[in-house]
Parts: sequence; C-alpha cells; structure tokens
Amino acid sequence: MTDEARPALRATSPEDDADRQILVDVGEGRLDALEGLYDRYRTMAYAIALRITADPTLAEDVVQDAFLGVWRHASRYVEGRGSVKTWLLSIVHHRAIDAVRRRKPVTELPDTELPAPSQLIEGDIWPEVAGRLDAVEVRAALDSLSTVQREAIELAYWGGLSQSEIATQTGVPLGTVKSRMRLGLQVLHGALVRHAGEAVHRPSLIDRPGASA
Amino acid sequence: MTMTCDDVRDQAAGFVLGVLSLDEAAAVRAHLASCDQPHAEFAELGGVVPYLADSLDPVEPPVGLRARLLAAAAADLADTATVRASVPATVRASVPAQASLPVPTSPIPFPSAAEREQRATARPSGRGTWMLRIAAVLAIAVLGGWNFQLQSRLSGVEGDLAAAQAYRAAVTAVLDAAAQPGAQSGFLAAAGPASRATGVVAATGGSVILAVENLAPTTGAQVYEAWVIVGDAAPVAIGGFEVGAGGTGVFRGSTAFAAPGAIVALTLEPAPGATAPTSPVVTLGTVMGAAG
Repeated sequence: MTDEARPALRATSPEDDADRQILVDVGEGRLDALEGLYDRYRTMAYAIALRITADPTLAEDVVQDAFLGVWRHASRYVEGRGSVKTWLLSIVHHRAIDAVRRRKPVTELPDTELPAPSQLIEGDIWPEVAGRLDAVEVRAALDSLSTVQREAIELAYWGGLSQSEIATQTGVPLGTVKSRMRLGLQVLHGALVRHAGEAVHRPSLIDRPGASA
Repeated sequence: MTMTCDDVRDQAAGFVLGVLSLDEAAAVRAHLASCDQPHAEFAELGGVVPYLADSLDPVEPPVGLRARLLAAAAADLADTATVRASVPATVRASVPAQASLPVPTSPIPFPSAAEREQRATARPSGRGTWMLRIAAVLAIAVLGGWNFQLQSRLSGVEGDLAAAQAYRAAVTAVLDAAAQPGAQSGFLAAAGPASRATGVVAATGGSVILAVENLAPTTGAQVYEAWVIVGDAAPVAIGGFEVGAGGTGVFRGSTAFAAPGAIVALTLEPAPGATAPTSPVVTLGTVMGAAG
C-alpha cells in the first residue's frame, strides 16, 4: 500500500502508522510481523479475553483464534474506521463473547464485508482523543458514570448478556436498561473528551501538525 | 424485521455494546444502509466503546501461547504455499513429492488449549485420531514450508536445493518418530524479528529429534543449544549441534518428555555445555503428546 494510493486521512498517532505497516506485512504472510503484532497487543488481548471468559484456558484459545483471524484476513481491516489496535481488540472481544455464549463464531471477523453504512463508525472517532488516554484516565472517566449506568454497560460489554438478561439480572424494565446504557455512554463520551482535552496540554503530548484537522 | 429511525436510535447503545441478537443487529444495519438520516448517535456512542478495554490492566498470557499461535499460523502459511503453484518449472522438476501429497482444502485445525486439556485428562480412545491429525499437520506444514522456501529462493542455486533436501530428509526422520506410539511432537516457529528459523520436533521413548531450517551457520565453537522448558521451571539444556552453510540443523538426543505442553527452544551459544541460555531464542515450539 503506497501513500499515494491512500485516501486523505485524518491524523493518526505514530503507533497507528506503525501498526498499519505491521498489518500490511501480516497480510503478506510474514510470521515475524504476526509475532510483532502479538507482542504489541498480547497483554491487552489476553486481559480482555480473561475478563470476559474468566477462564484462562478459554481466554488463551480466544486470543489465538483472534490473532489467527487477523493472520488470515488482514485485508479486511478498513483504515478509515478505526485503528488497527481497535480493530484487533474488537475481534478479541467478539470472539470472547462468542465463547462465553457457547455458540460458534457467526462471523469470521467483525463484518466489514457487509455493507458498511457511513453512520457505523466504530471507535477512534476523535483524533483529539486517540492515543492520549491511559488506563488511569479511562478509569477516571468511568467513575463519572452513576453506579447503575456503569453496571449496565459492564454487564453488556464484559458479561455478554442480552438487554433482557441485564433487565432480569438488575431487576429493572428493559427500557430502563436501554436508557442506562445510552446515558452511560454519553456521559463517558463527555468525560473522555474532557480528559483528552487536558491531555492535549501536557508537554509530552504536543500536538503534531494536522492532528486537530 | 423492519426498524424505524426511532427503533434504531433506541437500539443504538445496545448495538455498539454488542448486546443485540443477530437478527436485531442485522435489522439495524439494514436500516442504516438505506436511511438518509445521519444517525450520529452511532458515532457518539460507538466511539466510546474501544476505550472500555483501555480501562483494564494488561495481563501476560501463558508463555506457550506465542509458539502455539505461530505454529498454527505457519501451518496456514504452508497450506497456502502448497496450494499456490508458482514454483518455477526448473525447480518444480526437482520436487518429486509435491504432486503426490494431498492438498488441503481448508485450514488445518490446530489443537486448542481446551483440546489439550481434554487430552491430558481423557482416556486413550481419541489417540489414534489425534496422532493422525498431528502427522497430517506436520506433513502439510513441512511440505508446504519446504515449497515456500523454494519459492523464496527463486535462483535455484544448487546449495539451496541441497539444503532443502537435507532439511526434508531430517523432517522425514522427525515424522517417523512422531508416528511412534506415545510420541510427542510440535512445530518450531521463528522467534524474534531477526530469525527465520522454523522446524519440527518429535520426542519418543526417551529420545528427541528435531529438524530446523534457516539457521545462521555456526562459527568457531558456537553451537545451537536445544532447551526444554516445562511450566515455569528454568530451561534445561538437552544438547547442542552445529549448523553448516546450508542452514539446516538436525539434533538427536536423549531426554524424557514427562508432561505434554513442554516448550522446546533453540539458542545460539558461544560454546557447547551452556547450562542457561545466554542469547535470545531463535526458534521455539510446544511439544504435545498423542497419548491421553
């Protein structure tokens, strides 16, 4: 993939650029590139899989399965829809949820092959945020949520429960579950942007040219 | 299922968090694909979701996972290379075995951790199947890997062909060992960005044999040292060997593999007799047993 062939993109972090190059190499069947990708994200991938499955053996299978999916289908990554990191970790997440729901994977990968409606931008949508938040800041942003909002989001994202199951488990109507998830995500959005705005002014994270475009 | 704009807005949070049923998610997609409304709620809510994972502390996966992933990926690659018939005619003519082996039509399943666990605790009834499966995977990966190497050495230099043939002969010996009752076997995948060394290993009846290609030749007193790592224990040296210009390494030694899941690794050591690795691992793999 040459720079000339790429459409004009929003600014991305150097890590994103490095990841994209690794993914190109992975797509060409280079085992060392796969190993490089594994080394960059193995601890995050395993943390996600372990959190969802709560089973070290199953989590190991999920991570292997996810990286093998990337190995076989690196070309399915769509550049404009998020970073390689987000894409990879979303695959881990999908596979882990599939595993705990005890069903066969229904899609090889998040369905980028399906028609991709322009509204469906998943992740990394704010260049001003991307790459500037660490776990401490994200946890601080999560603390902005009310307990019930946080519970609804965590049961959904980490528990793999359906909305009805969350309603049953928390003893509230389905509509309440939906509004808690929606409000919780909105609050989190605001908190993340706020934290990222503060991060922009830190000297170690000086804006690169064009990053605010 | 047909959804209105309001229905879709109502389901947006569930959609981006991945809690909708497949039918519901498909209906949301179908609506968005044909709707001229911006539905900005998906970007607003969905953009948050990747950050949820950032709230976790990283967790180091088991050390064997790397080798297992790379071995499975190597098997995939070999599969592709076998199917890909782009070997130049001059080279292909000297590759007698290529056409006579079955060409896999689907990715070869590699044993999952769950399967390994099951085997470790299960009765011997699945043993024959498992052994056949390992042998098939080995055969395909080896043949494919060999072809792949040939393809990447398009010059067809005599020495390269000799090296490929030496490797192939060694692999045949490993395959024979892997077919013995009670044998354990596995792939060795390249470790580290500088290494292209890959190989196979089999252990049976207190002896171990491994074949590796693409090793840098040894010089002076250098040897490649083979190590066995069981669980969290320190690596145990099982012997060393030298490698010539062809880059093929073959090692036969005596060692008992007690537990399935042991890791075999190679390092390049300055002299024979190392008791602990002094240099980075160049290739490694997990050895798994056939017996239940």
